[in-house]
Order: sequence, then C-alpha cells, then structure tokens
Amino acid sequence: MVAGMLLFLVLPLVMGGIVYALRRWGRLSALLSFLTTLALGTGILVFPLGQSLDLWGRQIVMGGTVSFLGRELILEEVDRVAIAFLYLTASGVFLFAWRMSPRSLLFPVGFGMLSLLSGSLLIRPLIYAVLLVEIAVVMSVFALQMEGGRAAKGGLQYVSFSLLAMPGLLVIQWLMDRYALTPDNVTLRDTAAVLLTLSFALLMGSIPFHVWMPSVAGDSEPLASAFVFTVNYGAIWFLFLAFLETYPDLTAYARFGSLSSWAGLGMVSVGGLLGAAQRRPSRLLGYGALVDGGVALIALGSATEQGLGLAFLSLLVRPFGLVLMAAGVRGLRARQCPRNPRMEEMRGLGRNASWSALAFLIGGVSTAGLPVSAGFAGRWSLYRAIGTSNLTSVLAMMLASVGVMVGVWRTLAVVLSAESAVAVEGAGREGERWADALVVVLGVGGSIVVGLAPQLVAPTAARLAGLYTFLSP
Amino acid sequence: MPILGDLLSRAMFLAAMPAGVGALVTAVLLVVSQDWRLNVLALAAQYFFMTLLMTQVVRVELAAVKGLIGWVICVVFYLTEQQAQSMASTTGSGEPMTVREWFTARVEAWRQTGISAQAAFSLMAAVVVGVTVYVALPSVPLPEVSTSVALVCYFLVGMGILLLGLSRDPLRAGIGMLMILSGFDLFYVALEPSLVVTGLLGSINFVIALGAAFLKAGEAVTADQEVVE
Repeated sequence: MVAGMLLFLVLPLVMGGIVYALRRWGRLSALLSFLTTLALGTGILVFPLGQSLDLWGRQIVMGGTVSFLGRELILEEVDRVAIAFLYLTASGVFLFAWRMSPRSLLFPVGFGMLSLLSGSLLIRPLIYAVLLVEIAVVMSVFALQMEGGRAAKGGLQYVSFSLLAMPGLLVIQWLMDRYALTPDNVTLRDTAAVLLTLSFALLMGSIPFHVWMPSVAGDSEPLASAFVFTVNYGAIWFLFLAFLETYPDLTAYARFGSLSSWAGLGMVSVGGLLGAAQRRPSRLLGYGALVDGGVALIALGSATEQGLGLAFLSLLVRPFGLVLMAAGVRGLRARQCPRNPRMEEMRGLGRNASWSALAFLIGGVSTAGLPVSAGFAGRWSLYRAIGTSNLTSVLAMMLASVGVMVGVWRTLAVVLSAESAVAVEGAGREGERWADALVVVLGVGGSIVVGLAPQLVAPTAARLAGLYTFLSP
Repeated sequence: MPILGDLLSRAMFLAAMPAGVGALVTAVLLVVSQDWRLNVLALAAQYFFMTLLMTQVVRVELAAVKGLIGWVICVVFYLTEQQAQSMASTTGSGEPMTVREWFTARVEAWRQTGISAQAAFSLMAAVVVGVTVYVALPSVPLPEVSTSVALVCYFLVGMGILLLGLSRDPLRAGIGMLMILSGFDLFYVALEPSLVVTGLLGSINFVIALGAAFLKAGEAVTADQEVVE
C-alpha cells in the first residue's frame, strides 16, 4: 500500500530530474511538465479522500496521516484543494512556457518548488512548513533568471524579503507554546502577534514591503514571475491561514480583520496608482499582482466566512489574469532585444504578435476585475458583500481597477501602433504559430468561461472557507 | 565527525569573548571590504567563530555540522568569483593575479590612497548599526541565550540587512543573506536544537549560496558577451 500524498512530494522531484535531463529538447520537456502537473492536479481532485485505489497493481490511499522522516504529514480536504490549485496553476504556466520559453529553467525548478510547497501544506508542526516554503522561495531565483540576461535583482529582493519574514514565523510556535503554559504572560502573545503581522506583511508584499513585486516582474522571466505570483503566493496564503487556524488565541487578539483591511487598502491604492503610471509593461504585471493581493486581504478583512470565501475566490481566479498577462509580455518581448523594455521600445510589436497582445489585454482585464473575465467573478461579489459596510475599500478597489486598465491601455496603444520602434527592424519578423494561438485561445477562453459562469469555481471557494474554524465565534 | 569535533574541542578556550569579537569584526569586514578574496576569507573565519559560539548553546557535533556547511559555501563562493575573474581577464576587463601579487597590490593601494569613500561610508553605517544594536539590546532581550550571544545575533542580522542594502553584486547580497541566517541560527538553535531543523536551515543556506553563485555566473557570462559584441 502506498500513501498517495507521497506521490505529490516524490513524483515532482523525479520529474524535475527527467525534465532537466531533457532540456535540450525544450518543447518535449515543456510538454511533459504540462501533462504531469495537469495529471497530478486533476488526480488529487478526482481521487476520493480516505479510499484506496488500484493503480498498476498497487494500492494507493489518499488522505490520513503518514510519518515521513519522523514528521507527520496530514492530508485533509483543505490541503487537497490547495495542492490541486498549485499543480493546476503550474500546469497553466507550463502550457504557456511550452510555447514561449521552452528552454527555461522554470520546468525543473518549478517541479522542485511544487514538491516543497506541497510538503509545506502537509507537514506538521508549522515550523517545518515555514522552512520548506523558504527553500522553495530561494529556489525561485533559478527560475526567475532570464537566459542570457543580467542577474535578476528582483529575485534577490524577493528572497531577501522572505528571508526576513522567516525568523518571526519560526519563533511564533515557541512563543505560543510558552504562552499556553503561562497564560498570564501576555507579552509572549503580544510578541507573537507582532511577529505574525510583520512576517506575513513581508511575504505578501504589503505596503511598504511591496517593492519586490514590481522588481520581480520587471527584470525576470515573465512566466516565472507569474509562477511566483500565483503558485508561491497561493502557498503563502494557505500558510497564513494555517497559522490563524492553529493559534486561535492569536487570531482573536490580533484583530487581524482590521489589520488585513488596512493592509489590503494600502496595496490596492499603491498598486492602482503606480500601475497606471508604469512605462514598462512587465512591471505592470507586478503592480497588478499587488492590487490582486490587496483585494484578497480586504475580503479576508471582513472577518466572516463569506469574506474568507471571497478571498479564496480571488485566489482561485488570480492565475487567469496574471498568467495571461505574463504570457502576453513574454510573447511581445520575444520579438525584440531589450530584456525589460519600455513601452516606446515595444512600439508596433503587437501587430506582429496579435495573440500575445490579446493575452495581455484579457489578462489585464481579469487582473483589473472587469466584466467578462475570471477576475470579475470575485471582484463583483466582494463589492456587493462589503459595499454597505466599507464603501471606502470598494471605491479604492474600483479606482485600482481603473489604474491597472490605464496601464494596460497605454501599453496596447503603443504595441498596436502602426509605427515600429527602431529596435524592431529585422529583429523578429516571424509571426506567431498556430500552437501559440491555440494556447492563448485556451487561456482567454478559460478566463471568459469562468467570468460568465463563476459557479464553476465559487462553490469550491465557499467549501474551502467552511473548512476553517478560526472565524467561528 | 571525530576529527572536526576534536579540533573544535581544542579551540573551546576561544568560545566566549574572543569568538564573539571575531564574529563582529568579520561582519564589519564583510560590509566594508569590496575585495572578494578578503570577503571569502572573512566569511570562512566568521563561520569558524559562529561554530565556536554555537558550542555554548548546543552539542559540539551539531555546531560542527553548521560550520561545515558554512565552509562548503565559502568554497562555492571562492570558485564562482575565481571563474568570474578569469572570464573578465580573458576579455581584457580584469587581470588574474597570484595571492602574493594581490596582497602586495592591496597594501600598496592602502598606503597610497587610504580608505575609499565607499568603504568609509560602509564603515560609518556599520558603526551606526552596531551602536543601535548595543543600545536596543536591553529592551529586546532574546530568550534562552546569554546577553553576549544575543548581541552577536542582533549585530549579524543588522550587518546582513546593511550589506543587502549596500550591495548590487549578487555574491555580496548572498553574503548579506547568509549573515542574517547565521545571526538567527545562533539564537534559534537554542530554542529548537533538532537535527531536522538544522538540516533544513542548512539547506536554505546552501540554496542561497548556489542561487547567488548562479546569478554571479550569469552576470559574468553576460558581461563577457557584451565585451565580445
């Protein structure tokens, strides 16, 4: 009998090795990566928890508790959905990377990160989860580096911020264990609350610790940035909720609701404002991620089960916006020289890469939360849920949407212009192929379908929210 | 690890004050110096002093493992820098030199020009951070460790953050991150002396070193290509 959850830790590592060995045949390794992550993501959703399955003569059991190197690994319903989200999002990123950067280190490194992040969702106690997440974050430096490009300083910034967050999270467990023994010593609880707030502010890019987000997007491989903003960021969210769930005393004391709301408001305002003023499309991706992260925090700030459900909905539809935007930037960038081009250097490029321009547009619309895109599903429900109680936040989110769209529109106006920048002359006349068009159509179609039929993901978000008890009175 | 353990046991007389002072001095040196050879030497010395300090809190064997990881990281940094320098020398933007030539050149440079403006600024910033740490220490004491160990922990974290802020070079930024981790590790090992945690923290150290070396190598290759073009 094989514990099914171990497959999600070991198989990605094996695949990472295989994919690295096949790097010479970039398209093949990329396709293999896409299919593997898709199969694993679908598999964990389809296999029922607690039942055994026969697979090639071996019995596989999903769920329960497994001892691995002396630590407990526990697969519960929340972890199952979280792991499925990580793998399916990764498969989306790999699908675009198959066409746009097939030789990228994202594939082998991505598999390693997926294994570590899955482990972080399963392992107990939480200090091991923090350490596994940190290793995954540090590994992302390899994926973020563009082939033949200058050192990705954004990646270093990202690692630096997450490294500063780690000590606080590791010490919280010790502090809360002591607090459980001596409840009169409230200094322990107060210190833990401060450390929790500061650490997750650093990890989630809350203002003023947001600088790594535009930097990562600005000078790194765009699809690897999208991987960081969706897969890594998703794992950080689940870790955050695991902390809140594990330490209910801390949750009640820290009044995390108002803290989340304020942090979210700051992220949304700054992201929208600076996004509108961006002159480099890749940095707009970072500000879009900042706005999206802020929206999820505002939803969580309502401190209700409905709010948590909306935060999950925002998290689940996030890849439709950011991955498409990143694919658009990557597709447009591929046709000219500078690694982190200004808009002016991309003048006219979209006329030769219309599918990339379409991906950028629909991704931007989804990140801004506008209608007929996946992002709208979460955003509209949130406006309705908190509109009467927190009008300021709703206005800030709407203005941020306008800010992101201004940035997208300015970029499109330049890349679709009839004139061409000097750098483009002869730099990449070849057009996009049918397979490029196919992956863009799949992504855009997925975004529109979810935008038109939010009931495809909303029940999953609501079910996830119902599994957490820290919001119960 | 009997040999390393024996060596550390013999050096135990340095474990208190001398090791603390050594860790502080090497941290300042890493912030101020721009010379990669000196930095690698200072980092190796810092790991030695940190290992000695750690023996105050955990078993010698566990401290030795941490020291060993640190020295392997120094080797990674040395080889990367050497490779980057040799690439620079083949394209004419740098000259390979022996250790003796390097030492003579350093002494001559110090004699003629003294300390550079950048080094002076870094030194001043390091002094400010050091004084802040010393003043703030009584208000935020660390549990389970002595005051002198807590001082070293805070000082290393402060110097690491300073180095991150001052450096553009990936390897120097990597050294900054490793210093932050060393400072924290010295404290955390007293709270959680488990082998698995030691292994995972060691892995983080090692992946940071590899990441910094990877970025440095990439930068050297790009610079090389730009010179060729």
